[in-house]
Amino acid sequence: MSALENCWPHCLAELEARLGADQFRIWIKPLVAEVAGDSLNLIVPNQIFLQFIRDRYLGVIEESASPFFADGVAQISLKVGSNVRKPSPVAARPNGTLAAAAGPSNAYGANVGNSNNNASSVPAPSPRQHAAPPAPAIHVTSSHHETTRLNPSFTFETLVTGKANQLARAAAQQVSENPGVSYNPLFVYGGVGLGKTHLIQAIGNAVHQRNPSAKIRYIHAEKYVADVVKAYQHKAFDEFKRYYHSLDLLLIDDIQFFVGKDKTQEEFFYAFNALVEGHKQIIITSDRYPKEIDGLQDRLVSRFSWGLTVAIEPPELEMRVAILLLKAERENFKLDSTVAFFIAKHIRSNVRELEGALKRVLAYARFTNQPLTLEAAKEALRDILAAGNRQITVENIQKTVADFYKIKVADMHSKKRTRDIARPRQVAMALTKELTPMSLPAIGEAFGGRDHTTVLHACRTIESLRSSDGELSHQYGVLLQMLRS
Amino acid sequence: MSQQLVLDLYLPQPPSVEGYVAGENAEPLFMLGEWASGESYASFMYLWGGPSVGKSHLLAAARQRVPGAILVDCARQALPLTIAPDAALLVDNVEHLDFEAQIRLFDHFNTLREGNGRLIATGPVPPMQLELRTDLTTRLGWGLVYQLKPLSDADKLAALRKQAREWGFDLSTEAAEYLLRHTDRDLVSLQSVLTQANRYALSQKRPVTVPLLREVLHADRDF
Repeated sequence: MSALENCWPHCLAELEARLGADQFRIWIKPLVAEVAGDSLNLIVPNQIFLQFIRDRYLGVIEESASPFFADGVAQISLKVGSNVRKPSPVAARPNGTLAAAAGPSNAYGANVGNSNNNASSVPAPSPRQHAAPPAPAIHVTSSHHETTRLNPSFTFETLVTGKANQLARAAAQQVSENPGVSYNPLFVYGGVGLGKTHLIQAIGNAVHQRNPSAKIRYIHAEKYVADVVKAYQHKAFDEFKRYYHSLDLLLIDDIQFFVGKDKTQEEFFYAFNALVEGHKQIIITSDRYPKEIDGLQDRLVSRFSWGLTVAIEPPELEMRVAILLLKAERENFKLDSTVAFFIAKHIRSNVRELEGALKRVLAYARFTNQPLTLEAAKEALRDILAAGNRQITVENIQKTVADFYKIKVADMHSKKRTRDIARPRQVAMALTKELTPMSLPAIGEAFGGRDHTTVLHACRTIESLRSSDGELSHQYGVLLQMLRS
Repeated sequence: MSQQLVLDLYLPQPPSVEGYVAGENAEPLFMLGEWASGESYASFMYLWGGPSVGKSHLLAAARQRVPGAILVDCARQALPLTIAPDAALLVDNVEHLDFEAQIRLFDHFNTLREGNGRLIATGPVPPMQLELRTDLTTRLGWGLVYQLKPLSDADKLAALRKQAREWGFDLSTEAAEYLLRHTDRDLVSLQSVLTQANRYALSQKRPVTVPLLREVLHADRDF
């Protein structure tokens, strides 16, 4: 085997570690490598795939492959070809074609490629080809599981991970391995429909799987409020306290529902103290950062920062595609990657809307009894896309940003330069540049007759802050989501 | 000429799937059938569209198909306080939900989703454009979302002529087109005028013609 023939197996192992299982499985695993003289050809399933690999992954692939090239500069070409779907055993074949080996199945029923193992020589399915029905997700049901109120299908294995949630997932996994020890409470926040509930229930299911006798309870904050009211009406607070204070793991979703509910907050405060003192784990979700939840008692807000607070951002394009492919796979549906791209490019705001669009496309295929082509997907989503294509205006952006930062819309036009007004104004200018086709002079004009260089400065400032200031970066992401939805 | 008394022997027909003129809405109509027969992929639906596109008709038709289904018109009624996890809930005009009711529907949605329940909601705009809590609107947009499209004039004409045939007379193209030109053009209004015309024609022992329709419309205006 030549040095180049060793190159691709090496790249696969390295890329899987670098990119994570989901991205690896969707984008890298379907590639087939061919040695052609002194260079390596990577065969991709179609043109869109090729463009995506070139834009997003070619750099890391070249970096990983470079040690195998004489001058340390990787010579890699991307080509569209049909042999990506052929069986591709682990070792180099006589024609010099190399592909991802079949590794152990993960919970989606997909193989996580690993070139170093000697497992079977089953071909790696491309995103276009899901020949076998997916293996069932890991279910952790038991009679005791019922009392946890956890959905058994919400596991780490079924959670698609990308940049948007990788930090939150890492923290969640750590908590699931050492509940009550590592981060207590774990506070997960992010916009609606981004997978907070799935993430925290995955912790619950993992803890239950490790320790089936652990007393776990998932509860939505609204139901907790109802429990407090019921306890109050039936004078059953002792029982209420006994139950909640005896849990090993309490998962409480959408804590913002506690706003204005003083009695509930008081009871939760006692439960919180009892559990944390007993080294029992609490996991909380909210649609915003704890300090931004107006109407929550300060003593609760301060306690929420005792552990770790992590954000979940709206999913980026490749994560949205991965989610679609995974969901379709679970429905035993062969979703073409071009169709997945099309949906993911147009539905950007949240995962629920994305899933809704996928359901429409699948329903259309069922209704018409036709294969799901790109044209069919466009037809199926025509009304959804037309409804979503309403124009985002500068006025709308100014109002949304002003409401978000609790300043007046008039401040968007004013000459005030205090930080609490100037920063939101800069955010609004950057959003206007990103979301509208307006020229910089026109944006400046819309923000109180400012010069276009002021707009440029604002955009550069916000761009720089987004990479250095996590809080501002999150706020920007939330505003993008609000404006696009 | 003596006026014929008309015996009101027509029983009001409950809204049915069969009685819905689909036009371009064949797919949502099909999915409604799937919802009624308990297909899991159609468990959660949201239908939207302008007035008189048949949202309320379809919800009422769905209730006919599913024994025990709960139908709530949010413009006039309150949502139930509690709901069984496997219930079939039909919520018309969600845009009228006040703050507390939005939380209640949010809660019911979660209950139904966790317990294999079913829900169809309707509103005037797509879920994400509803001026409701986003945690509710994203849930409404989680299932199958369909815009109910207004019927074309040709569809309305066909629907009116079908209705007339069921009542035992032929409505000429000329008479049907006259109706389309001289009254509100939504199907509910058109059918209402046709009902009046039918009664008037029977009482006058005359066929339903353009002159008769003109008299009916003018008489209506006189009141």
